[in-house]
Amino acid sequence: MPSSLRRMLRQLASLAGLLCTLAVQAAPPLAIALNSADGTISLIDMAAYKTIGKAVACKEPHHLMPSPDDKSVIVACSASNQLVFFDPLTGKEQRRIRNISDPYQLGFSPDGKWFVSNSLRLDRVDLYNAADFKLRARLHAPRTPSHMAFDANSKFVFITLQDSNEVMAIDLKTMKKAWVMPVGPTPAGIVMTPDNRYLLVAIMGEGYVEVIDWKTQQTVKKVPTDTAAHNLHPRGDGRYYFVSNRSVGGGSISLLDTKTMAVVEKYDVPGGPDDMEVRADGKELWATARFARRVQVVDLTTKTLKASIPVGSSPHGVFFLDHAPRK
Amino acid sequence: MNLLQQFLDGFVRVQGWLLDHVVQPPLLALGLGSYLEVAFDGVEFFLYGVLQLSVAYLLLRPLEALRPVEQWTDRKAVRVDVLYTFLDRLGIIPLAVFALLSPVFLGLEGWLRFHDIIPPQIEDLLPSLEAYPLVSFFIYLLILDFAEYWRHRLSHTLRWWWALHVIHHSQRQMSLWTDSRNHLLDDLIGGAWFAIIALCIGVPPGHFVGLMVAVRIVENLAHVNARISFGRWGEQMLVSPRYHRWHHAVDLPPGRAYRLGCNFAILFPIWDRLFGTQYLGEGMPATGVRSPELASPAHADRFWVQQKDGLLGFGKALRAALSPRRLP
Repeated sequence: MPSSLRRMLRQLASLAGLLCTLAVQAAPPLAIALNSADGTISLIDMAAYKTIGKAVACKEPHHLMPSPDDKSVIVACSASNQLVFFDPLTGKEQRRIRNISDPYQLGFSPDGKWFVSNSLRLDRVDLYNAADFKLRARLHAPRTPSHMAFDANSKFVFITLQDSNEVMAIDLKTMKKAWVMPVGPTPAGIVMTPDNRYLLVAIMGEGYVEVIDWKTQQTVKKVPTDTAAHNLHPRGDGRYYFVSNRSVGGGSISLLDTKTMAVVEKYDVPGGPDDMEVRADGKELWATARFARRVQVVDLTTKTLKASIPVGSSPHGVFFLDHAPRK
Repeated sequence: MNLLQQFLDGFVRVQGWLLDHVVQPPLLALGLGSYLEVAFDGVEFFLYGVLQLSVAYLLLRPLEALRPVEQWTDRKAVRVDVLYTFLDRLGIIPLAVFALLSPVFLGLEGWLRFHDIIPPQIEDLLPSLEAYPLVSFFIYLLILDFAEYWRHRLSHTLRWWWALHVIHHSQRQMSLWTDSRNHLLDDLIGGAWFAIIALCIGVPPGHFVGLMVAVRIVENLAHVNARISFGRWGEQMLVSPRYHRWHHAVDLPPGRAYRLGCNFAILFPIWDRLFGTQYLGEGMPATGVRSPELASPAHADRFWVQQKDGLLGFGKALRAALSPRRLP
């Protein structure tokens, strides 16, 4: 092929690439909400607060999470035994990994070595290599392993056991259960405080957050939030956490100060707020209203509901690229 | 806002109200908060049941009034079927079956999965189906209907099972309500059958709730007391009231192929055609069974008498099956 033709082809290819990039940049910022009961994701135009499309995911997807580099949104397909990767910019499917048995809740360890998958229905925790999703260990976790958190050094993963009212710690080095401790009724969401000292556990059965000194396995405080405290999400400032209280009628989201371990604000969010995401500028909090087929947007300046976006059935996770830091 | 969205919003409001005011408080009080999601699905199942019953009644009852096969002056025997229908469609019997079977099958599935035994799904064999959930829905429907054909046929073949299933057939006033008239033990065995199939095809039974609700309108239609057929071609595609009426006929069609019954299909008659049990009869035969006990007034309209009769027959058939046979 003559070199002039090769050069022309290269230039055309560059132009096409540039046009594609511009097209993506011109597209409205996208939020992705996961609809568990429909097996789909809803694509939301974040500027217009409107659902603009839907894509098929799989059977009974539960929870989504970004890959560590934010280049993919990973959907846990519990009834399909798959992970499905979506492009967070376009909502297009990127790839599927099969034979991930009954994934319900997912997590990557902070050091990027481990990928952990909870099977809530079948009482099991699976540890995978994060690099190639090869199964390393499989542990019994009775009963109903729900959410997970890691310590800052990636030595442990902590799992809430919803039906046995416990938190289980798994030593990632030995890949064995390290300890189990009792907590309040029906523990769900769990996070590690930014200083790596405390685990915060949302106690759904009694509506409080249990503060645990995980090194001594002692409960140091119980912070009442609201009925059916369910999940926790960082505001992004290394200090405050949102706590979704997943009651249907009187649903709300509390703001917890991890310095004082006290609730400092509360917003009314109807429909069973569950999973959350915060805008990078800290002005909006998005939450999936599990029992209302909606994503609720809270204006954090006025502290009121700003938008209520219809999505699919049983929305169980929301993500957008323009999110606040996870701290 | 479009009509569908308005309907969904209304549905979700009612569902949310029921969950918030009726279901959530006792669950949280009893420390059963983790069942809230299941309860939410349960409330949805209940509301779909109400909706499905309303649709069935509004569509099918006029047909029974306009084109009845049989006119009944005394509808007392129908009333017990209405009770069965409410217990079934509103989720009371399914909830009991779920509570009894769930620990067993979850344990079994948990053990299989722990040992890395994952039954392949349709989409694993045909990955392109991932993009076409409606097609995959139809394939699962076919598989489940095929399994239901064999469950139904076996319930006519095995004597102990027939002793239970005969309660469904003892109704002489067959109507849109008759579909749910089943012995409770028959329901439990049916639930176990369904759970085994779900285990084999690798999809949790809960995944099919929506599918079952849709199928049941067709099942109500199949039992309707109305002169309706889909014609010769139509009856090869979908079970019609005439097609299913022959399944319930007091006098079975002649021939060895039909000695244990005919037209076992639930939705698609293709299974009867493939396995030699199809009978495309003319007319609308009388329904019921030739049994003096089961035809007695004491049995006809009493729920607990029917349950007792079924259990007695079941015990007798089981004893006969287990006892050593006498040499001639």
